[in-house]
Amino acid sequence: MNPYIMALLLFGLGLGTTITFASSHWLLAWMGLEINTLAIIPLMAQHHHPRAVEATTKYFLTQATAAAMLLFASTTNAWLTGEWDIQQMSHPLPTTMITLALALKIGLAPMHSWMPEVLQGLDLTTGLILSTWQKLAPFALFLQIHPNNSTILITLGLASTLVGGWGGLNQTQLRKILAYSSIAHLGWMTLVLQFAPSLTLLTLLTYFVMTFSAFLVFKLNKATTVNSLAISWAKTPILTSLAPLILLSLGGLPPLTGFLPKWLILQELTKQGLPLLATFAALTALLSLYFYLRLSYAMTLTMFPNNLAGSAPWRFHSPQLTLPLAVSTATAILTLPLAPAAMALFAP
Amino acid sequence: MTPVHFAFSSTFMLGLAGLAFHRYHLLSALLCLEGMMLSLFIALSLWTLQLDSTTFSSSPMLLLAFSACEASAGLALLVATARTHGTDRLQSLNLLQC
Repeated sequence: MNPYIMALLLFGLGLGTTITFASSHWLLAWMGLEINTLAIIPLMAQHHHPRAVEATTKYFLTQATAAAMLLFASTTNAWLTGEWDIQQMSHPLPTTMITLALALKIGLAPMHSWMPEVLQGLDLTTGLILSTWQKLAPFALFLQIHPNNSTILITLGLASTLVGGWGGLNQTQLRKILAYSSIAHLGWMTLVLQFAPSLTLLTLLTYFVMTFSAFLVFKLNKATTVNSLAISWAKTPILTSLAPLILLSLGGLPPLTGFLPKWLILQELTKQGLPLLATFAALTALLSLYFYLRLSYAMTLTMFPNNLAGSAPWRFHSPQLTLPLAVSTATAILTLPLAPAAMALFAP
Repeated sequence: MTPVHFAFSSTFMLGLAGLAFHRYHLLSALLCLEGMMLSLFIALSLWTLQLDSTTFSSSPMLLLAFSACEASAGLALLVATARTHGTDRLQSLNLLQC
């Protein structure tokens, strides 16, 4: 792609999210979301591959529908209460519609089925943008509307953690596994959204760091299936030993960073008098943990009986920059000791 | 709920129902999307007219501009789908299910 056009599209991605962040008016927030969608579509379809075009079409249809529903809900709100301000949502009907529209936009469970298919059709860089940066703007709106309908949020969140764990069980495609992991993490964020919005922000942040390193590891190995991970020991031995820690951090095991948000969310849910919900959420995390463990097993704990051609790839040096990967890997593994600071910052 | 509110709500809901349940051609999906956006355009214009609000009078045009961009992106994707898949039937968009 022409670098000028690429720069323009990346600028559009940043601009859309910034407009949504800075807006207090629903029309402006909607415009930011639309700019975001329109800017990522050429990035997704840039290789003209049938799968990429199909993924782009599916992404376009869902995002356009979600954005139209969002604007319809805010127009309804304006007709009912005369208010365009994002933070002044008082009527329950538009609030519910906006919650559902945003859930469709980020791919929460009953509206999740576009997410694995779209991610499967993209290359890993665009997939990384899709599963991290594109979630920011909808979550900024989610945090601002103060949704007070607890049933729908808890249903969406619990269904997302369940579906995210369940759907990844049978997958051998890494991008689909990452998509299901994204759905599960978004479910955790939605669960705690109405009780402690700052915890949602903390979860989003840790999820970004962990997903960033997972995508970069797969990109460095040029791996899109579990099988091609099995020869990564020949390419990058040290990273191969660190990658299971990243994956288990995504799964939320205690000495790693991923444990922090799950811990705080479970504590918050218990504090709110919902121990049953907390138990269910913790049990659904086990489903996710299973496929992360399977990835780690295939990547690190087995040595496949390779022929000579199988161990040849170590001769090629990847031109990818490794500094971002190093930083994000260290952050994704080691920041649990910062828990008091994170709690002081995010959960006052 | 005023009659105007009911009118544009039902138009939007019809478009949404068409998009959700009539899944045969990509072109019809794009037409349904365009119908939804036009109903929103009517809603915004009538809101502006009803309140005689000057500051809000540019919003229907902004909405129309963005929905035109969106429709053109959709048509470009229609062309791309026709080139890669040979058809615009949504049934043939099945490469990614596995």
